[in-house]
Amino acid sequence: MRSFDTELKNLRDGIMAMAGIAEEMIELTIQALAERASAKAEQVQALDRQLDEWELKLDQLCIDLLALHAPAARDLRLIASSLKIVPELERVGDHCCNIARRTAFVHPPILAGDSLEQLGARTRSMIRRAVDAFVGHDAPLAHAVIQSDDEVDELYGQIYRELLRLMLADPLCIERASHLILVIKNWERIADQATNIAEEVLYILEGRSAKHPYLRGNAVE
Amino acid sequence: MDTPDFKVRTRAKLADRTMHAVLWLVALTFVGVLLVFVGAILKQGWPELNLHFLTSMPKTLDAGGGIAPELLNSLYLVAISLILALPIGVGAGIYMAEYAGQGRALRFFRLCVETLAATPSIVLALFGMILFVQMMGWSFSIRSGAFTLALLNVPVITRVTEESLRAVPRELIEASYGLGATKLQTILKVALPYAATGILTGVVLTAGRAFGESAILVFTAGTNTSDKFPDFRLSVPGETLSVHLWYVTSDGTLPDASQIAAGTAAVMILVLLVLNLLVRLLDRAIRRRTR
Amino acid sequence: MLNPQIPETKPVKLAVRGMNFWYGEKKILHDLSMDIHAERATAIIGPSGCGKSTFLKCFNRIHEVSSQVRVTGDMLMDGVDINRGGIDQVDLRRRVGMVFQKPNPFPRSIYENVAFGPRLFGVRDRATLDDLVEDALRKAALWDEVKDRLKDSATGMSGGQQQRLCIARALAVHPEVLLMDEPCSALDPIATSKIEELIFELKDSLTIVIVTHNMQQAARVSDYTAFFWLGKMVEMDLTERIFTTPRERMTEDYITGRFG
Repeated sequence: MRSFDTELKNLRDGIMAMAGIAEEMIELTIQALAERASAKAEQVQALDRQLDEWELKLDQLCIDLLALHAPAARDLRLIASSLKIVPELERVGDHCCNIARRTAFVHPPILAGDSLEQLGARTRSMIRRAVDAFVGHDAPLAHAVIQSDDEVDELYGQIYRELLRLMLADPLCIERASHLILVIKNWERIADQATNIAEEVLYILEGRSAKHPYLRGNAVE
Repeated sequence: MDTPDFKVRTRAKLADRTMHAVLWLVALTFVGVLLVFVGAILKQGWPELNLHFLTSMPKTLDAGGGIAPELLNSLYLVAISLILALPIGVGAGIYMAEYAGQGRALRFFRLCVETLAATPSIVLALFGMILFVQMMGWSFSIRSGAFTLALLNVPVITRVTEESLRAVPRELIEASYGLGATKLQTILKVALPYAATGILTGVVLTAGRAFGESAILVFTAGTNTSDKFPDFRLSVPGETLSVHLWYVTSDGTLPDASQIAAGTAAVMILVLLVLNLLVRLLDRAIRRRTR
Repeated sequence: MLNPQIPETKPVKLAVRGMNFWYGEKKILHDLSMDIHAERATAIIGPSGCGKSTFLKCFNRIHEVSSQVRVTGDMLMDGVDINRGGIDQVDLRRRVGMVFQKPNPFPRSIYENVAFGPRLFGVRDRATLDDLVEDALRKAALWDEVKDRLKDSATGMSGGQQQRLCIARALAVHPEVLLMDEPCSALDPIATSKIEELIFELKDSLTIVIVTHNMQQAARVSDYTAFFWLGKMVEMDLTERIFTTPRERMTEDYITGRFG
């Protein structure tokens, strides 16, 4: 195998590793919220450090590959997209840290049912599937991820409205509810990032940008 | 895999050095032979070389004759034969290199040229005698000699011209065509100037050979000279240096035949040296202008 | 023929339709069709022996000088067939200049090299020649380097200067198309970048077709790129498309270095 192909594999492996860490962090935030487990919140902080380290490493790898191998076509698209996917995954970590910091302020629970866990689980699944699409060159899966974003947005809206209702009903829960609003906002952002990753995957696979569909057709050449 | 015994290379190196030495010796032999040869001739002829010898008429019975008309005739004949042979030889060379293509015509034409080049000069001499001296009625004269000598020169010049043209780098020819030159323009403006030094060298070799030629001239230009000096008429007999050399040594009527011969030989060698030197200079001048 | 989404404002200079080419009995090019636009640089890439140089040389019929060749199909310049009637070879080669792989200046002075073309076409007037020479040397970005030694031999110049001289020589007869057959393959990177810059400037006023082994060079200098393989055109598109999103798998494999 050529050294270039080895390096490309290293890049893919690195992105998979980052995705694994990000996923684990999302899972930890779900558990930390449910169980008020500060140990898990601390674990999240530790994992974020790993993500940051990966980001530096993979950024450098991409730059080296661009500089030394002058890649073209799908190689070029892979590396250029990796340069965008890596920071998305790193931001997932930041959002998780944000959530982890709030776990101490949301108890006792004010929301009935498991809508919070559901929102967390869906965002986690989106990250998972976006990276699966990246690894498996799976365009339909990437399309599915982009569609899932609407469901997450809807669920987010529901919880948001519920929290507003609770705050109006009982001023004592305003502090917890406002923390929760920020928590669900963070998850919703993570889902957006999964969408961005899925769009990059589509670019790698199909060679044209999947972003901003409303602009398509009158693109500037 | 084991590393093979790379020391066998020393044999190759030894062979390389041996060959180098052998070839060097061969070259040295050549230089040696030439030096001894030229040295011997010049040593014998040197005492005879004086202005009187070079500027007076030959004598038939007495000692003290010169070689003035022979020297002039030699140069004159060579010059005329070249003037006759150059256009035909160069033209034929251009045809063979540029127009004849690769087919049968070229092969046939080349066979003709090579046969002519390989014809012994005595055969050319007799041919020239029959054609020019007898049939044309030119008798033994400068023009008979020059025309026959030209027959000797043409194939060599043809060959040299063809090879020099073939040696012109393809890139230059392409560059010329690429700019919109026609075939004729390309030959005249690019190929011939580039080939000029090669052709010139060939012409000088030819001139040298013609200068030394005797058989042809004995039968066509004769063994006498005009009584006048200088006489540039083409119809008069034109004995040359080499013919004179042959004649005085084989006739034996001259009391100082061996001295005359030694002096003549020395003059011939000197003329050839000067000729070669001139070509070197000319060649360098052309090369500087065209390469 | 090209992607209709791209509004090409320049007219088609050279149009090739269903062209086939034989060297003697051997068929080299198969059913080629393409449009080459005026004032654009079109690069032809492909592995050795794919016929790209042969194709290039068809545009000024230079290989007819030394070989038996046969062409079928149409090759049009400004709508006029260049192989049959309409235009003769000498006039064609004046209008379609060529720069070769190896710099091939004539063994003459710098001035005489550039003046060679104009002289062929009967320009005798010294002042006119001087102007043509200066103009061509300026266009080839060589004037400042050689203006004080126009009488010097061209063969004493560096390889890069020689190649720019060859470009100037070609420009001196005011061609409409400039064919370049791997013009930088014998040059170092600095000389190469000078030539590339030159190509970039020249295409303001000329149609350029360049054959190159160096894919990065094709990417840098050309507007369109065609990929040839085994005498066929696999794909032709805007250069940025070819190098980011080629449509054919074979093109992709070639430009990413995974060919064969």
